[in-house]
Amino acid sequence: MTSQLITTDVLVIGGGLAGERCAIEAAAAGQDAMILSLVPPRRSHSCAAQGGMQAALGNCVKAEGDSPDVHFQDTVRGSDWGADQEVARIFAEEAPIAVRELAHYGVPWTRVRGGKNKYFIKGESVEIDEALENDGLITHRDFGGTAKWRACYAAAGTGHAALYAVDSQVVRLGITVRDRVEAVSLVHDGRRCIGVVARCLRTGKHFCVLAKATVIATGGYGRIYGRYTTNATINYGTGAALALDTGIVPLGNMEAVQFHPTALSPSGILITEGCRGDGGYLLDRNLHRFMVNAEPEKQELASRDVVSRHMEQCIKDGNGVDSPNGSHLWLDIRHLGEKHLTTKLLEVFDICRDFAGINPAHDLIPVRPTQHYSMGGVRVNKDGEAYGLAGLYAVGEAACWDMHGFNRLGGNSLAETLVAGRVVGARVAEYASLTTLHANTEVAFAALAAAEARATTLLQREGTGRSVYEIRDALGEVMIGKVGIFRNGDDLKSAVEDIRALIDECSNVVLRHKGPGANPELAFALRLPGMLRLALTVAMGALARTESRGAHFRTDFPLRNDREWLSRTLARWQPDAGAPTLSYEPVGLLDLPPGHRGYGSDERIEMQATIGEYNDAVSAGQVGEGRLATFEPFGSRLRQSQGEAR
Amino acid sequence: MKTLTNTTNVDGARANGRRQIVYELISGGTGLVLALFMWGHVILVGSILTGERGFNWMATMLEDYYIAQPTVAAIFTLFVIHAVFAARKIPAQLAERRRMIALAKGLDRAGREKVPSRRDNSPFVPHLESMLWIWQVRTGMVILVLGSFHLILLGVDVFTPLFGEHAGIESTTSMARVAAGLWLPYAILLLCVEFHASVGLYRLVVKWGSGFLPHRRYLHRIEQFIFWVVLGLGTITLLVLAGWMSPPLEFLLTDVAS
Amino acid sequence: MSDKETTAPRRLRFEIFRFNPEDPESEPHIDFFEINERPYMTLYMALNEIRETQDSGLQFDFACRSAICGSCGMLVNGRPALGCRTLTGDLPETIRLHPLPAFKLIGDLSVDTGTWFREMAERTEAWIHEQQPFDKDAQEERMSDDIAQAIYEGDRCIECGCCVASCGVANLKPDFLAAAGLNRVARFMMDPRDKRDDADWFEVVASEQGVFGCVGMMACADVCPKELPLLEVYAYLRRRTLGTKFLAD
Ligand SMILES: Cc1cc2nc3c(=O)[nH]c(=O)nc-3n(C[C@H](O)[C@H](O)[C@H](O)COP(=O)(O)OP(=O)(O)OC[C@H]3O[C@@H](n4cnc5c(N)ncnc54)[C@H](O)[C@@H]3O)c2cc1C
Ligand code: HEM
Ligand code: HEM
Ligand code: SF4
Ligand code: F3S
Ligand code: FES
Repeated sequence: MTSQLITTDVLVIGGGLAGERCAIEAAAAGQDAMILSLVPPRRSHSCAAQGGMQAALGNCVKAEGDSPDVHFQDTVRGSDWGADQEVARIFAEEAPIAVRELAHYGVPWTRVRGGKNKYFIKGESVEIDEALENDGLITHRDFGGTAKWRACYAAAGTGHAALYAVDSQVVRLGITVRDRVEAVSLVHDGRRCIGVVARCLRTGKHFCVLAKATVIATGGYGRIYGRYTTNATINYGTGAALALDTGIVPLGNMEAVQFHPTALSPSGILITEGCRGDGGYLLDRNLHRFMVNAEPEKQELASRDVVSRHMEQCIKDGNGVDSPNGSHLWLDIRHLGEKHLTTKLLEVFDICRDFAGINPAHDLIPVRPTQHYSMGGVRVNKDGEAYGLAGLYAVGEAACWDMHGFNRLGGNSLAETLVAGRVVGARVAEYASLTTLHANTEVAFAALAAAEARATTLLQREGTGRSVYEIRDALGEVMIGKVGIFRNGDDLKSAVEDIRALIDECSNVVLRHKGPGANPELAFALRLPGMLRLALTVAMGALARTESRGAHFRTDFPLRNDREWLSRTLARWQPDAGAPTLSYEPVGLLDLPPGHRGYGSDERIEMQATIGEYNDAVSAGQVGEGRLATFEPFGSRLRQSQGEAR
Repeated sequence: MKTLTNTTNVDGARANGRRQIVYELISGGTGLVLALFMWGHVILVGSILTGERGFNWMATMLEDYYIAQPTVAAIFTLFVIHAVFAARKIPAQLAERRRMIALAKGLDRAGREKVPSRRDNSPFVPHLESMLWIWQVRTGMVILVLGSFHLILLGVDVFTPLFGEHAGIESTTSMARVAAGLWLPYAILLLCVEFHASVGLYRLVVKWGSGFLPHRRYLHRIEQFIFWVVLGLGTITLLVLAGWMSPPLEFLLTDVAS
Repeated sequence: MSDKETTAPRRLRFEIFRFNPEDPESEPHIDFFEINERPYMTLYMALNEIRETQDSGLQFDFACRSAICGSCGMLVNGRPALGCRTLTGDLPETIRLHPLPAFKLIGDLSVDTGTWFREMAERTEAWIHEQQPFDKDAQEERMSDDIAQAIYEGDRCIECGCCVASCGVANLKPDFLAAAGLNRVARFMMDPRDKRDDADWFEVVASEQGVFGCVGMMACADVCPKELPLLEVYAYLRRRTLGTKFLAD
């Protein structure tokens, strides 16, 4: 504990599903793995995932004919063609394995009941005969933006069940977990990442962990939206901020921020998409199902970005339900019946009861679109390697592996964490087995001293001014007000100015509490600059992207523009610069050509180049864009072997 | 699952497991038998409600057929065994007991919280059973003292006739000593033992039977009902024994006699 | 909903246990705070308000703030509860908050439940001991939905530690597995994918650290925020130990 320097083979920052699955892969390959986490791993935000995990098993009647290929297409359509299609392909192929592996780890997936089953589809009660020969296989529920029922689920506690099962394997393998430890900076020499400086949240002491390979798995950055998020209070996006701080590693697509249609109003606690998947409707103030007109085909089950915009429009049109906390709409799941609600949607039932004081079997649920998911993150290649620093990887929501592009489909994220954990974990283990520990203590101690100095400066600074919490709240208001569901140039410009002002203010912030130990205020003050920088990156990326794609919607540029913007934003923050520099790379090799998503608007600006030309440019550009050429990319090998099989 | 025990050998742990089951069965089993006996006791001693004749007839019969003597011996043995085995759960140190009591009191007085429940939406009764356990320990201590005394007294009553002139359990002696002052320890013993027995039975049922029995809220109501009925009967019996009340059921026997 | 919003806001008075083991000058004591109640205020909101406006050194843990991560167990007026789920409206005006007992104190209301649960998992080997290694090309093994639901019910424990803190026995015996631990054991015993048999778990369950440590105080079941059927679990385990016929050699 007192040691200032610890070493291990593979260091994973983050004990959520992605980080733990990655650590398991490394440990199983014989590497010494260590996990750092703000909280005991089982309290990571992965446990909050409710509705399900997408994998094309095709086990129930409404999933018949499903295949990884259909899953791939849904994912790319969902992403509004912003995804890296190679990655989406790897993902769709591996997702069934990931689900079955979880079954093997002990997740009690809800199973097919052979014989007559009652479902609600598009507002009608339907009876479907499930084949008896499928009895006992993992069943599916419907989710938004998918052609087939594909979400595998364990009641409405899928993430919880998955995280506990995965963590049980971490315990089994004896992987060291240091909880209540926060990584505060990456240790690197400009070419190679050799570990992190961490701060113990029990004692407030700093120490270094040096490793052959470092994996960022710190989850999303929803808390830059203040309290307007479904995310846990610990989702500060620190991992992405650490990468940004290096000045070398870019973040990808930070402006791609997902809003979930149904968060409980006003607390922001999520009500799963599974409610609509199982047959719930959205109602306006007149108890009218507005989604039926807006999206005749998919209705409530269009993708999240589309549904959220329709809802927000509905509220703007004056059809929201007024309440002291602002307008909201209704989610109606009464018709599903108490039995269904207290089994397959049990967690939802509990949340309604505990936080809104209602019984969803009898009452309507007040909901409003709320920040939910970060598509952007540390930009990595197919193998999970961050651009620019050897030995640095990222997985899960913290990464921009980029199978989600500009909109993630419900249930694809849990699947991503596990697939990426497997794929990248294997790659990390391979890397670690071929390299030795670069225990450059000089660099390490310099980084350690810098981190300690930061804390000391904060503790010693005297003066007045707004507290860190007030700055945080101000940031949240800017983000929800100006970088929300509907964006436009003027708002974004003013958001950029506001955030820059907050960054200035934050650099002189004064702490109220200067006591020893963990000091929660100090811990927050150390994170806040990173949050502000991420926020600025989001706002500037959104301002620069003059088109609408997926969750990024510009009222002044309402069309998707494949001619100019079939690209991914990369943001780097040069040391001592006041703002990030943006650059762009193509989204990746195109397999499914850009087209209509099947929901939302069909208007767009077509691309000019042919697919062939685009793909050639991509191949050439990939080499130039800092892709590490040390190894044969793992992902491509995977794709090749699948290509042969097909 | 060898981690728990990998320092000792597996057989040791298994033998320990076996021992633990036996201990649990002994303390629970003796408790059960004693509690059931106390219901019988109400009826036996309650024969005084039909008047002295009924009481004496009952006593004489039990003694003449040599039922009373072995019963007293058996009950005394069970009593001691139960005390020994049940007491293994009582925290040894005063500080530990204090801590337990503080915790139980906190839970009991937690105040107005409503704990929403899916099973029904009745407002929550602050938790009670921890306090009941504490009281079970306390009453157990009292029973140990007063019960031993009582059993020895009755042992003398039923065994001396075997060796001499004494007439065994008799209404006159019983009533005389109760009236003379034994009513007080008896009243305390009565309260303690009925409480201890009914709560003990309730706990036993919940500990082994939860799952296919009704919710414990209902079991607790049944337990309370039995407690008050038995306590009521016992109190009346005591009042009659002390001579402060005439036997209410005397007419039954007089009718037969006339 | 509406009547709550129309009544005048109450002034809440908090009595909060304070102690920072990292600070040599800190002594355990109680601090007092006052804030105005808002509609549907939870202890999560209240404590953050206190920390942000009155005492920014106050330590407590919240993560999900929606009663699913198990971070925020604390003694609310003597009763273990999840802070994020407890509405101040259900409490009297004076609210006493203490850290959960039975766990190591980190500071103020923050305790180390993580270590306790990891140790418990290691001791009981709380993972599937599978029959066969994973075959990634094979279809999943079948399982009836009823069994899946039953396992899910036991799997719902969020490891908040409320049951442990409420149990008199667990407070005195650090190695007692308590309701959460035994519930987890039962969950694996029920799982057909786990190959361990009666003999494998007998020593853990049938011991003073296991089910026979429990004296039936029943607080665990009353405080469990997930309303797990903990007493049923205990009764099931007790009956299963009898079913083994004590595993005589
Ligand atoms: C309410 C909700 C419901 C959801 N439901 C679904 C669903 O039904 N289906 C689906 O597919 N997806 C769902 N998602 C999305 C999905 O749950 C997440 O994207 C996914 O779990 C992220 O996993 P992760 O491992 O990347 O990160 P997390 O689970 O967030 O883990 C992050 C980890 O990093 C640690 N950490 C963070 N910063 C640091 C630091 N500086 N130092 C050390 N450790 C750090 C944390 O302690 C934590 O352990 C949902 C998300 C939310 C918010
Ligand atoms: C001699 C004095 C006695 C003492 C010190 C004593 C003590 C105890 C204690 C400490 C327990 C709790 C044990 C546990 O929770 O496992 C208990 C349980 C019990 N006792 Fe007694 N007791 C005494 C006499 C009696 C008598 C006379 C009766 C019957 C009327 C009785 C009936 C019970 C029952 C039914 C239980 C429940 C057993 C269980 O829960 O396993 N006890 N006793
Ligand atoms: C086989 C054993 C027992 C016999 C034969 C027996 C007999 C009697 C008799 C004859 C009386 C009348 C009063 C007297 O004579 O002093 C009495 C009263 C009483 N006995 Fe016992 N008893 C037995 C065991 C117990 C036990 C184990 C307890 C509890 C620990 C107990 C508790 C009482 C009480 C509380 C009274 C008061 C009268 C009442 O209200 O019921 N007895 N018993
Ligand atoms: S059993 Fe209930 S009280 Fe105990 S840790 Fe689990 S959820 Fe919390
Ligand atoms: S509170 Fe403790 S004593 Fe048993 S019934 Fe629950 S574990
Ligand atoms: S904060 Fe997660 S349970 Fe309360």
